[in-house]
Amino acid sequence: MNVSVFEVHGKKYEVDEDGFLQQPQIWNREVALDFATTEGLSELSEGHWRIVQYIRDYWQENDIAPMVRRICKDTGFKLSDIYDMFPSGPAKGACKVAGLPKPTGCV
Amino acid sequence: MKPGVRLRDMMRPDSEPLFDITHAALAPLPNQNEAAPPWKPLTEGVRQSCECGLDNTCALNLPRPKSREEEAALVDAFVRGLHKLFEARNNWTFLQPLLLSMEHCVGCQTCADSCHIFEASGRAEVYRPTFRSEVLRRAYFKYVKSGGALSRMQHGDIELSWPLIARLAELSYRCNLCRRCAQSCPMGVDNGLIAHELRKLFSQEMGIAPKELHENGSMLQLRVGSSTGMTPRTVKDNIDFIDEDISEKTGLEVHTPWDVEGADVLLIHNAGEILAWPENPGAFALILNAAGIKWTMSSELVGYDSINYGLWYDDAQFARVALRHAEAARRLKVKKIVIGECGHAHKALAVVADRLLSGELNIPRESSLTLLREIVTSGRLDLDPARNDFPVTLHDPCNLVRLMGVVEPQREILRRIAPQFREMTPHGVDNYCCGGGSGFAIMSPNNFGDWRAQVGGRKKLEQVMDAFADCLRSGEPKYVCAPCSNCKGQLRDLFAYHDLWERFRIGYGGLAELIVNAMRDVKPGFIDWEWH
Repeated sequence: MNVSVFEVHGKKYEVDEDGFLQQPQIWNREVALDFATTEGLSELSEGHWRIVQYIRDYWQENDIAPMVRRICKDTGFKLSDIYDMFPSGPAKGACKVAGLPKPTGCV
Repeated sequence: MKPGVRLRDMMRPDSEPLFDITHAALAPLPNQNEAAPPWKPLTEGVRQSCECGLDNTCALNLPRPKSREEEAALVDAFVRGLHKLFEARNNWTFLQPLLLSMEHCVGCQTCADSCHIFEASGRAEVYRPTFRSEVLRRAYFKYVKSGGALSRMQHGDIELSWPLIARLAELSYRCNLCRRCAQSCPMGVDNGLIAHELRKLFSQEMGIAPKELHENGSMLQLRVGSSTGMTPRTVKDNIDFIDEDISEKTGLEVHTPWDVEGADVLLIHNAGEILAWPENPGAFALILNAAGIKWTMSSELVGYDSINYGLWYDDAQFARVALRHAEAARRLKVKKIVIGECGHAHKALAVVADRLLSGELNIPRESSLTLLREIVTSGRLDLDPARNDFPVTLHDPCNLVRLMGVVEPQREILRRIAPQFREMTPHGVDNYCCGGGSGFAIMSPNNFGDWRAQVGGRKKLEQVMDAFADCLRSGEPKYVCAPCSNCKGQLRDLFAYHDLWERFRIGYGGLAELIVNAMRDVKPGFIDWEWH
């Protein structure tokens, strides 16, 4: 495992080679804002938070990221809305901000 | 030929890349007015801590040994593994074709002209199919056959050192294992197999394998049931969601049966479909129910994920997973296993597992494509091809088509349901790999995604654009039908990288979705272009 350090706002986070947080348990709203900078976001709107919190809650309950269809259906956002809000998309963008580890398998 | 790089350069004691692929003259692409996105350089941290002495990318993140002793131990392990590759008791599955490939290459280079990676790279010498094979071949004659001076004159010399082995490890992950070269070889030499055997040596003897395939792949699958991380509970929950979603969307009640004893068909999907392309398992459920098939899915650990990454790098991991698949089917007493739209799962369970499964575990296995053909041609579905009246081309997954010869079923279906179906050139068993084969589709460490989109997938990109040359800028949506999860993952990344949807309205998807899209009983517009 190649661990890199992501430095932002004077803080350091251990991340994997794709920039996902290595210790998902340390996540909180401040961490989310720090990782949002990787999406070019300096703040998160209510919509951003709705998506991030949905993903986070689902992950805590199921130990896996939710299906993108589920995110759309349950938060009411269209896929294109999610891409507008998180330019890297739901998996590489929103899940990263939500402090999830990188999705695995053929997804 | 790129000047400068020779086989002996692999032995160079430094760890600097042998050549600069990003500056190499990559083969030109059609309709490529804008330059491709810039290739992300490797970070200083990775260059300092990992072995990246082959080219400008790094798939394995192999840590640098910290001492001479550690290096020597790694070389010893490689030599030990090398011997095992050529012993019947350690490699009974692949010894015969491996020996044939070691002994009979005549160096004619027919294989080089068939390799998409070699061609796309602008014929970079290191990617020549025989380059990698020649390293193993020389090592075989010297270290396994204990050849003396005469043998070295005949076969060439090599000195196994850590820098060479580290480069070779990376080089074993610059081949898609598509075996187009093997098909073209007049002697039957299989350079794809050689890359596979090298990966095996690295994994089984030295514990070196991509994290995505091993730690987050086969290990995770054996532990929780799927490499996606889905447990039996989450997979059922997700399928429930899909059933509901597809029912709403199509207006037909869709229900997936679980753990039905004595069913005719146990359908095993690549579980990635369920998470990333849910309309595919949803379409299957709808079609099988509409056709009156007595089918089931299994919620047994591993029984709901057909992937078997061991196929690409480790025979032991392969066997562990294949046995779980067969066990799941045996316990349900199903008549046969049907493998969903996933090429490598086909090769794993239908072909290679045939050397492993015996007695009551050797349950009949069938491709979903032949089952779908039977359903479509039998007239059991009311199909209206006019609903698919947009340009469609077909990608041939290497494992399904070249390896298994499943060529016509998917075409028979498309000819009935897609009026604007057109072939790529070449196609069928002569197809080109999508560039995601052998696990690459799920590997994007460092800048490996750039390599995959600019080198590995380059030939496929060219083929796709050529297939739609008559309507490239027509503004209508175009569909690349790829009946394979791994290929879809690669096409998704490849198309996004080169902006194919925005520029040309080229999307992709599976085969089952096209069938449902043509069904008269279904609400029109099953194919959701936004998701492709």
